[in-house]
Amino acid sequence: MESFELLPLAVIGFYFLGALLFFIGLMADNERLSSVAGGLAIGGFALHSLDLCLMLVFYGKAALLGGSFYFSFVGWTLLAIHLFLRWRLKSSFLSLIALPLGLLLYTSSLGAAGLTIKIPPRFTALFFGLHVGSLAVALALLALASGAAFAWLHLNQKIKSKAVLGSMNMSMPSLDVFDRVNQWAVALGFPLYTLGIFSLAIWYWIDPEKTFSWDAMKFTSLGVWLLFAVLFHQRLIMGWRGRKTAWMVIWVFLFMVVSLIHHTITFKS
Amino acid sequence: MNKYIYLTGLNHRTADVEIRERYALTNVENFEPGLLAECPVHEVMALSTCNRVELLCVSGHAPQSEVDVLSAMRDYWARRCGGDSSEVQAHTYNHQGLDAVEHLFTVASSLDSLVMGEPQILGQLKDAYRNAVGCGTAKVIINRLLHKSFSVAKRVRTETAVASSAVSISFAAVELARKIFGNFNGKTAMLVGAGEMAELAATHLLRNGVEHLIIANRTLARAKTLAATLGGEPIPIENMQDRLSEADIVISSTGSPTAVIRARDVQSVLKKRKHRPMFFIDIAVPRDIDPDVNGLDNVYLYDIDDLKEVVEENMAQRQDEAVKARALVSEETRAFSQWLKTLDLQPTIVDLLGRGEEVARRELARTLRRLGDVDEETKKALETLVLSVSHKILHEPVCYLKRRTREEGMADRVIDSARRFFNLDNDCIPPDAHPERRTDSCECREDLDLSSPEEFDH
Repeated sequence: MESFELLPLAVIGFYFLGALLFFIGLMADNERLSSVAGGLAIGGFALHSLDLCLMLVFYGKAALLGGSFYFSFVGWTLLAIHLFLRWRLKSSFLSLIALPLGLLLYTSSLGAAGLTIKIPPRFTALFFGLHVGSLAVALALLALASGAAFAWLHLNQKIKSKAVLGSMNMSMPSLDVFDRVNQWAVALGFPLYTLGIFSLAIWYWIDPEKTFSWDAMKFTSLGVWLLFAVLFHQRLIMGWRGRKTAWMVIWVFLFMVVSLIHHTITFKS
Repeated sequence: MNKYIYLTGLNHRTADVEIRERYALTNVENFEPGLLAECPVHEVMALSTCNRVELLCVSGHAPQSEVDVLSAMRDYWARRCGGDSSEVQAHTYNHQGLDAVEHLFTVASSLDSLVMGEPQILGQLKDAYRNAVGCGTAKVIINRLLHKSFSVAKRVRTETAVASSAVSISFAAVELARKIFGNFNGKTAMLVGAGEMAELAATHLLRNGVEHLIIANRTLARAKTLAATLGGEPIPIENMQDRLSEADIVISSTGSPTAVIRARDVQSVLKKRKHRPMFFIDIAVPRDIDPDVNGLDNVYLYDIDDLKEVVEENMAQRQDEAVKARALVSEETRAFSQWLKTLDLQPTIVDLLGRGEEVARRELARTLRRLGDVDEETKKALETLVLSVSHKILHEPVCYLKRRTREEGMADRVIDSARRFFNLDNDCIPPDAHPERRTDSCECREDLDLSSPEEFDH
């Protein structure tokens, strides 16, 4: 087997070991294990980046026709945002969400090779790229934010009910850190999601081969956008934070996943 | 073992505060050099804190010997503090050998402290050690013992949760606030009422980084006095409601019979604050803050009973962790005893290598005499050669000795055998020894005519 063929196995190995060690480190309150998991996440991310680059180098534009690339790209974006937030918030807790999700997306990408995408002709490719790229980043942001939202709700409930926090809760970041992840996800995710939706609309408008018509997929996407818009307004204009925004992020993410699954099924058919 | 460790001391369990004050060593000058000069000890270190006074010594006298080292230490201690030796004896505990080592590790790890897991004791122990080093009374054993105790304390803190949770009301409040806000940069605390406990909690918060303090009190003069001490802003209590929106943390301790802060007031305050979280600490009895406040989003309320419960649970958790910590201390004590055993072996190793070198040099001198005119470079090369051969031959016996002396109860026997085997003590065969021993070819080193070249001809 050539080394290029071993690369996906190495990426899976790094992400899997990273996720496992981080979980064990968290349970056993062992910081050394969490640091090793952080190193594995960085290593896995570097190999993942190499894998994406090699895919583009070896297959050229054809790589963009396969579903593998997109699943892998969403996973890569998720890990990139996770590493950025880890550095920015000085907290490794998001690895608990990012590493298993990254592993899941990357593994799914290997199974999505059969899925083919119709690439738009000539200059419309720009809008297609914008559509896919911005939605991938928005989805990755919301995945992390919904994980942080679950953690916020758990810790908030513990503090409100005056329960014993225990060593695991004590080693968790503060409510403020989780809330800041939520704010970043909303502040960046909504404009990106809007860009993703509008670039699709423009693509339909300028591509002579495409005709716009309302269908279930577009209704779902619009519904998600409206919910996201409400969250964006309440969070950034009205100053909502905490419990309400945590639940809203979780709902927006779930709807977005449903929309994406629907999207994939539509493409396959 | 030719060096024995002794520890005597009193603490909060064996002596009340008056006794501890009387025998404290904080203001006794030159205590350690004096003890070294007047008592049969080689090394001394004295630890004196508000909860304990302990003397750690190393002596050449065994506990079973006629010299009572502990008694001499206590007498000197009582004399220097102007007290009575029998009084000291009545309140002290004594440890010898590995018990003393284990006790010191336990103290350093804060397992013997009044508040288990408190961090100050390690700093105090480091100060005491620094002082002993400064006085020149800490030598090989105390140096090693203290360095080891610092590493044991660190291991206990990192590998167990014995010091991880708050065990005082004010510290528990700070820990909870940290779980809500992360850090206190840019945060404002408000004291409603200027009670002693509120002041303590505010001091903790300020020390942990809270940037602004507002003190609202019925008596403005008291608020001003406290503000001058803590560095806050005094306001009359009537203005408290208007300024409440600025506060992230509110500590209330008024003597009011009814609630001073109500849920509906906090609801309007939250809107003004754009729902930024608020943490209310109610340490007043009867309570100052309406319990319904805790039902509001982004508001957290803990009263004195809640905080007490947190502290009790943390204390129980520390007790559980102490079992693990004590096991660690025992493990480290065993490791230290291995080092002590190798220390017993040290003089034997020195003698053995010295004997080897001595023989090598003597043989070299004889060979050089026979060779006649030899240049310096060759002489040096030959010297290096014979010394190297001597060390290499003795390397395995030394390793064997080190290995065997680590075995339980073997040190003395193995060292004794080695000394006799290599005749390191230059023992002569006594005239009344068994005839078989006397007819043996071995003789006293002094009796050997080493100068005779024929006898050792190659």
